[in-house]
Amino acid sequence: MLKVNRTVENEKVEISLEGELDTVTAPEFEAELREVISGATSLVLDLEKLEYISSAGLRVLLIAQKAMNQQGEMKVVHVNDSIMDIFEVTGFSEILTIE
Amino acid sequence: MKKLRQHITFKSISGIVLLLLVFSVIISVIGNHGFTDALLNQYSDNAFHTARIAAVVVDGDRIDEYWESGGETEAYRSVWESLTRLCNSSGATFVYVIEPDRTDYAHIRFLFSTINQNSHYSLYDFGYLRETTNDEYRVKYRALYEGESDQELVVRDKGYIETDPHITAMIPLKNSGGEVVGILCVQQQLDILLQARNTYLRRVVIAFFSLALFVVIGQSLYLHRALLHPLKQISEEATRFSRENVMADKKLQDTVRSRDEIGQLAASIDHMEEQIDLYIDNITRVTAEKERIGAELSLATRIQTAMLPHVFPPFPDRKEFDIYASMNPAKEIGGDFYDFFLIDDDHLCLVVADVSGKGIPAALFMMASKIILQSCAMLDKSPAEILKKTNEAICSNNQEEMFVTVWVGIMEVSTGKITAANAGHEYPVLQKTPNGKFELIKDKHGFVIGGMPETEYTEYELQMEPGTKIFLYTDGVPEATDEGNNLFGVERMLKALNEATDQTPIEVLQTVRASVDSFVNDAEQFDDLTMLCVEYKGKGSD
Repeated sequence: MLKVNRTVENEKVEISLEGELDTVTAPEFEAELREVISGATSLVLDLEKLEYISSAGLRVLLIAQKAMNQQGEMKVVHVNDSIMDIFEVTGFSEILTIE
Repeated sequence: MKKLRQHITFKSISGIVLLLLVFSVIISVIGNHGFTDALLNQYSDNAFHTARIAAVVVDGDRIDEYWESGGETEAYRSVWESLTRLCNSSGATFVYVIEPDRTDYAHIRFLFSTINQNSHYSLYDFGYLRETTNDEYRVKYRALYEGESDQELVVRDKGYIETDPHITAMIPLKNSGGEVVGILCVQQQLDILLQARNTYLRRVVIAFFSLALFVVIGQSLYLHRALLHPLKQISEEATRFSRENVMADKKLQDTVRSRDEIGQLAASIDHMEEQIDLYIDNITRVTAEKERIGAELSLATRIQTAMLPHVFPPFPDRKEFDIYASMNPAKEIGGDFYDFFLIDDDHLCLVVADVSGKGIPAALFMMASKIILQSCAMLDKSPAEILKKTNEAICSNNQEEMFVTVWVGIMEVSTGKITAANAGHEYPVLQKTPNGKFELIKDKHGFVIGGMPETEYTEYELQMEPGTKIFLYTDGVPEATDEGNNLFGVERMLKALNEATDQTPIEVLQTVRASVDSFVNDAEQFDDLTMLCVEYKGKGSD
């Protein structure tokens, strides 16, 4: 289960994720994200309530990061310890701007 | 169906018959009333008419004379004969003249009493005294005598034990001074009325039974033809279709040929059959397709499995090391893989990798990654370089943003030294002393392969002593979940490994696998489970 809350203000997009971003929930989130960030110059992902992220979920973050590299900036905020471990193991901590 | 038919017919017919019965009863009651009223009016008019004629015959001034005559004088006889003729010709039963006793009108005395010749009654004698039969007469006698009315009618049409139904018309007999001196009564039997009424009722009953019979037969036939027969056809067709699942040659609506609700039902059944037929075709096609895909998937799985080294021991003549590896995809086909191959006599390359996502896309990506990795490895003995080149190759053609985490290590067989690099993969586990504890090596991680072009990777060295083992795995192991959604975790994995410190690689994998299985129990697994274990035996061991 994944709950996606988003606020879009002009070209600034804020998305907070709650639950699990895995093989089951990633495709839907990917579609939503692609739509939301088109034309956005700022993307903030709040992962405070994200409990789990699988490689399929990481892939969506990578897509977002690459897209935002072209058109603006992306930040990941409130990363909890278990998600941070995954970011570090996979090297995502090096390509994401984590605050 | 037989039972239903009887039921519907019975219900329908009994309803109509009941309605007819109610209708007949109402008609009888209304008709009876109308009849009785009309005839009674007619009868009473006749009776009063007769009474008025009689009043002309009996002279009110001579009443006393008649009383005194004792019924014997010529004058009395003459009046009596005139009254008798009137009685016979008018059709009245009795024509008589009475005088009630004036105190309470409880008794009457007959002055004249005549009877119709066709009647079976007998005459009252002159001066006969009798009790008034009921209060109605008494009240009416008084009314006539006291001048409250000049005609009264008593109707006794219900039938009485002592007399047949009759009416009695009564008018006062007056003398020339206008004084009431007697009452002239004309009694008329209601036999014709009764006869007519009985005939009427009999006809209503006959009409009721004829109609009921007609309804029973007509409705049965109609129900059979318009409802039951078509229903039976529809029912039989539905049964046939459910048994054979093949559309009939002739459409039901052509067989039933009705434009009412039954016809609509038939059309609906026809439509349903068409739809089910289409649906069956569809299902058959989809199932066939599914079977084909299933067959292809299982073939793909076999191809994928065959791509990985799966004959153990893989290098029977190399005694310096022992390798065992396994991959258990969660779905039919997965994105995990392991690999090992000798680059040259002294260099053994070990690879464990995990492609993002699962299923066929992951499997395709995994195949490409595996081949590119091996090609790069055969050209270069530096894991960092291998990863960098692989990354460039994959990034150049990766529109779907797939990536793969890779741990690659190259073991120098002669010394046990492993040079390794990690592209976003799980930490390796190393046993530093023979039969000693397994420990997680928190190595330096680079970014996943396929994520960003121009990623640099750093490599590091691990020294393996003879008799030690290295254990590599994908995240399917620590992220195996039980029914409560708890993760198996690295701690449990290390614990399982440390129960197997003295075991051979194949036994180590079996131990970890058993531990994961008992943790997971019946929960469905979403991730592939891939493990690789190498024991370094040292150059000198044989």
